[in-house]
Formats: sequence, C-alpha cells, structure tokens
Amino acid sequence: MGGESKYVGLWYVAPYVIGLVLFIAFPFLASFYLSFTDYDLLSSPEWVGTKNYEKLFTRDRTFDKSLKVTLIYVFTTVPLKLAFALFIAVVLNYRLKAINLFRTAYYVPSILGGSIAIAVLWRYIFADTGLVNMAITALGGEPINWFGDPENALFTITLLRCWQFGSAMVIFLAALQSVDKSLYEAAAIDGAGPWRIFRSITLPLITPVIFFNLIMQTVQAFQEFNGPYIITEGGPLKSTYLLPLYIYDEAFKSFDMGYASAIAWVLFAIIMVLTLIAFWSSKKWVYYAGDKRS
Amino acid sequence: MKKTVLTAALAASTIAGAAQAAELRMSWWGGNSRHEATQAALEVCGAKHGHVIKPEFTGWSGHYEKLTTQIAGGTEADIMQVNWPWLSIYSADGTGLADLNTLSDIIDLSSWDADQIEAGSMVGKLNGLPISTTGRLFVFNKSTYAKAGLEVPNTWDELVAAGPVFREKLGEDYYPFEAAKLDAALVMVIYGTQKTGKALIDPETNELAWTKEELTDAVSFYKTLVDNHVIIPWPDVAAAGNIKLHENPNWASGKIAGTYQWDSTYFKITGPLEEGQEVVYHGLLSQDGQKTPGIYRKASMVFSISENSPHKEAAAQIVNCLLNEEEGVAALGSTRGVPASKAAREQLLAADAIKAVQIEAQAKVISAEGPAIHPMMEFPTVRSALEDNLELFAYGEIDAETAADDMIYAINEALEDVK
Repeated sequence: MGGESKYVGLWYVAPYVIGLVLFIAFPFLASFYLSFTDYDLLSSPEWVGTKNYEKLFTRDRTFDKSLKVTLIYVFTTVPLKLAFALFIAVVLNYRLKAINLFRTAYYVPSILGGSIAIAVLWRYIFADTGLVNMAITALGGEPINWFGDPENALFTITLLRCWQFGSAMVIFLAALQSVDKSLYEAAAIDGAGPWRIFRSITLPLITPVIFFNLIMQTVQAFQEFNGPYIITEGGPLKSTYLLPLYIYDEAFKSFDMGYASAIAWVLFAIIMVLTLIAFWSSKKWVYYAGDKRS
Repeated sequence: MKKTVLTAALAASTIAGAAQAAELRMSWWGGNSRHEATQAALEVCGAKHGHVIKPEFTGWSGHYEKLTTQIAGGTEADIMQVNWPWLSIYSADGTGLADLNTLSDIIDLSSWDADQIEAGSMVGKLNGLPISTTGRLFVFNKSTYAKAGLEVPNTWDELVAAGPVFREKLGEDYYPFEAAKLDAALVMVIYGTQKTGKALIDPETNELAWTKEELTDAVSFYKTLVDNHVIIPWPDVAAAGNIKLHENPNWASGKIAGTYQWDSTYFKITGPLEEGQEVVYHGLLSQDGQKTPGIYRKASMVFSISENSPHKEAAAQIVNCLLNEEEGVAALGSTRGVPASKAAREQLLAADAIKAVQIEAQAKVISAEGPAIHPMMEFPTVRSALEDNLELFAYGEIDAETAADDMIYAINEALEDVK
C-alpha cells in the first residue's frame, strides 16, 4: 500500500471527525468545565468550584420539582409509547388490504410530531374550547381542563410524544417480520393460541429491538423540549417544567451558563445511570440469536 | 419591486459618492404592523442612502435570548432594537455597543432632549437612541362597558364593582378586565406602589422597598379581582392555552373588556378588534388614600449599533433615516409608539399619522407620577419571582403571606447579583 493510499481513508472520515470534535466533543467537554464556573456569556467564566452543584442539590426547589416532573414524564411516556408502537406494529404486521397505505399513514405523525406547528396545533386541540373537549361534551361528558390543571397538563404533553410513535413502530415492524414463521406454525400445531404465541414466541424474539427502542426513547424523553415549551410554557405550577426547559431558562433567560451546564451534567448522569441499569438488566430479559440460554 | 429598490440604491450610492454602499442587517421584535412598517422603512432608507438592509424580526418571546446569544458570539446585526433595561447587560461600561456620540455628524442628536440622551447612555457613552417612552396604562373596551350600562372605571373600587354587573347583565363569559402571568404581577405592583408610594425595588439602594405586609396586601388584591368576577382566574387562562391578548378571540369580540398594557402596543391590541368595538387608553385607576398614581414608565426601546459592525457610518445613516428623516419616519409611523425624536413626532403630528388616542395615551404616560422603575423589574429572575409565586397563590397552593415571603426571598437573591 503506497503512502498516498494509506491515508486516503482519513480524508474520507475527516469531515465527520472534524464535525464531531468541533460541534460535539468540544461543547461537551466545555460544558463540563463551565459547570464549575460562574459564566454569564458576556464576560469570562469565573471558577467557583462545586458551588453550582451544591446549590442544585441543597437549596434549589425548582430543580427538585423539575427533576420529579421529568422522571414522571419519562417513566410514563416511554412505556406508553413503546406499548402503543408495538401494538400498532403487530396490527400492521397482518396481511390486510392496503397495508402499505396504513403503514405510511401511521408514520406521518412522527414526521410532523416534533415540529413547532404541531405543538401549536396541540394547544388548540386541547384548549378548554378545543376539539377534544368539544368531542367530550358532544358525547355527554364534562369538559376537561387539560392545560390549566397541573394534574392533566403533563399527560397532555405525554400524549403528544406518544402520538409520535412512528419510528419505534417501524423498528418493531421490521423485527416482527424477521421472526421465523415456522416457529408460529409449530406453536399453532401444538395448540398455542394467539396470545400465547405472542407472549412466548414473538416477545422473546424481538427483545433486542424492545431493548434498543427502550434506550432510544428514554434518551429522547429526557430531552423533550418543544412540546412543553410551546404548549404549556412549563406550567401550570411548573407541572410540565421538564429539566431541558429549566436548562434553557437558566442558560438563555438568566444567562447563568455555569448553573445551566451543571443541570445538564446532572441530567446526563441520570440518563447514563439509567442506560447502564438497562444494559445490566438486559442480560436477564434480552435474547439474541444464538443465545444458549433456555 | 426589490430589483427597483436595489437599482435605486446602487444609483443613489454612485451619485452620493461619499457614501459607501454597505450590506447591513437590522434586528427587532414586534407584531405584524411593526414588521411591515419597518421593512417598508428599511427599503426607502436603504434606497436613499445606497445600502441594502437585511431585516431580522421576531415576536417578543425569545428575542432577548436570541439577541444576547448573538452579542456574546459577536454575530449581532449592525442595527438592533434593544429593550432599554438590556443596555446594562450588553454594555455595562459603555463599550459593549457603539457610542453613537462618535457618529453625531451623521445622526442628528438634537432631536432628543438631554434626559432622553442620558437614558440611552452607559457611563457617558450613548449606546442607544430612545425610540419612544412607554408606560403601562389601563385600556378599556368602551363598547362592552356601555353594553353593561357602565362608564369605564376610574378607580379600583369601580372596577371591582363592574365584575358582578358584567356577570349579571352580559353573562358568565364577560369580564371587565384581564390579568394573568406578567400582567397580573404588574397589576399587583401598581396597586402596591399606589398604596405604599414606593417602587417595589428601590433604584437608589438596589433593595426591596416593600415590607412583607405591604407585599402580602398587594398579592391578596389578586384574589379580590378573581372573587368579584373582574378577571378570568389564572387556571382558566391556562386552560385556554395562555393565548396572548391580541390573539384572543374574546378580546377581539369584547368579552374581555379591559387590560393593563404598554401604550406603545396600540396597533397590536386594537388591530384584531371586531367592528364596533371601541377601546380607550384610560390612564391609571386610583384608590382611596393613594400616595402616588404609580405609573410604570420606561424608555420603551432604543436603536443601537453593534460595536462589531464594520459599517457603523452606514448603520448610522439608516438609524438617522428611521428616526429623523422624512422618508423613514413616514414609513415607520408610530408602530413603536409616539416617537421620542422631536423631528419624527412633529412630522407625524403634522401628517396626522399619529392617532389622537395615541397622543392622549402618551400624554398620560408622560404626565403621570410614579417612582422610578428599577431595571431589574424587567429581568427574568425578578419577573419569575413575582409570576411563579403569584401563580401558586392563584391556584390556592399557598397563602398570600407565603407568596410574599417567597417573592422576597427570590427577589433578594436576584438582587445579590447587582449589588
């Protein structure tokens, strides 16, 4: 291999590596440094040691509230979204007429879902005189205070995220289609019903994909911003004030970049710990092809 | 059209000779009426002076964050509309923004009086030219009040008394006033200012001037307004999606018949009104034994030029055109309130381009008395200290005393940064 061709690969990866270093690695490490500083963006950062972290864990009630809300949001949204995506994927796995049309239609919310326009639309749909309450009252029910009641507001945001189930659904669908059909035939011959087949064959065989979706959706849920920012502005009573909103407010409203960085690192640590727990637990419930476990 | 303007601009620059054609950027926040007028003004001023100006405009929400980030990164526009209290953030020592005194051969500063120049200066450097002075006034829908058989109120007592009348005569969904979030907090502030005669934060000492009892009393007043059907309760405003007043169909139709707004928002809030709805800028409500009318007044905004701009002279030509020259002033109109520039004010008055209601409103703002406003009152930390705790009180989560306690704690913490 000549000298020229020896390094040609480096040229190919250079754009990605440069982008990674400049736009991900450097800001990532810089934010860690900034979390130990007092930095208002317009003047130089001033080293304050662990002061930001001390404040965060000892006397910041907003952080306590925001963390609690974020955890509730993640632990309700992720299971709901995964269950819903799996359910729709199972339905779309049947050989129905115009199945491709349905598959496309169910994916549409995921293309639109993260946009500001949909968040604004959501605000109108769930407003006190919005479409949802009109439907409820038409059916004889009492209108629900979706955004004004702290008990309901977070659920409204959760619904928006669950509605964007398309990407998880597509991955589930691909996994369902890769399950060996002969296993289903064998189980049917042995007298297993549809539920038993789903529980004992389908679910175990798609656990690697469930695991993948679980990790991805958890990380995404921890980063939710657009929905609560546009729809509820974190309210009422900070009931939808997720940590990314708090980070944004500290960084770009109070211009306390050091403190915002500290919150971001705590959020990162939480995601990291939960991911490690998920990986650790996966040994007990995720089955890969060629796995020797019985 | 654009081609014509560009050609005219190039021709003008060739003729002018001394003026170097520059490509500039200008940023501002506002509503649609301001966006349209400013773009038109930039076209005529650009054509006149041979520059091309790229407009960058947003709504109010998020503009502060965007502008600050741009300034921190040195990517701000050449000409910026800056909220007056932000000057102390961007240019505490006067060097963060261009000193317009150095461009006084281009900008005719004689259009502003000494107080106005002082308001736009930081440490003797003129960092922003006041566009207008603004203050919060009570605005009432005269038509709805007439429908309820009432005159628009002059006192808080009359306003409170209007609530039950509205409910009885017009229906549950008619309210004589509105206040939630920041508006509710500022209503609380003016009520307390009138009663105590003191600004919430003393600009001289940088300290909270109200006692806990005084703040508790002001917080409690919010409940009086809700209990008497004067304002829509906070949870119901949230239930509707926290719609802004000018986007709210209940304001447009007259079901919400009063508000407390900047006088410079005339076009924004009157634009959406349905036909037959007449609103009046009514000055300030009063209360028995008040110590001051308590006007909440400030230089509404300034035009600044970036210290990093390579085209400061060109930017100064455009600023002067927008604020002093016939073409720019005519195009801009009064979409930023009644102009602070004497030249612009006289031109618009002569051309009948300022509505009588705006002049009256401005006169009320200028003539009303009140203690000076501390710039921190405009900062997110102080505002959220007021809003967040008032919201907790409005939802019945805490009592007025606790709300006052928590406000005092949070405001004092915010003030630590400026001491």
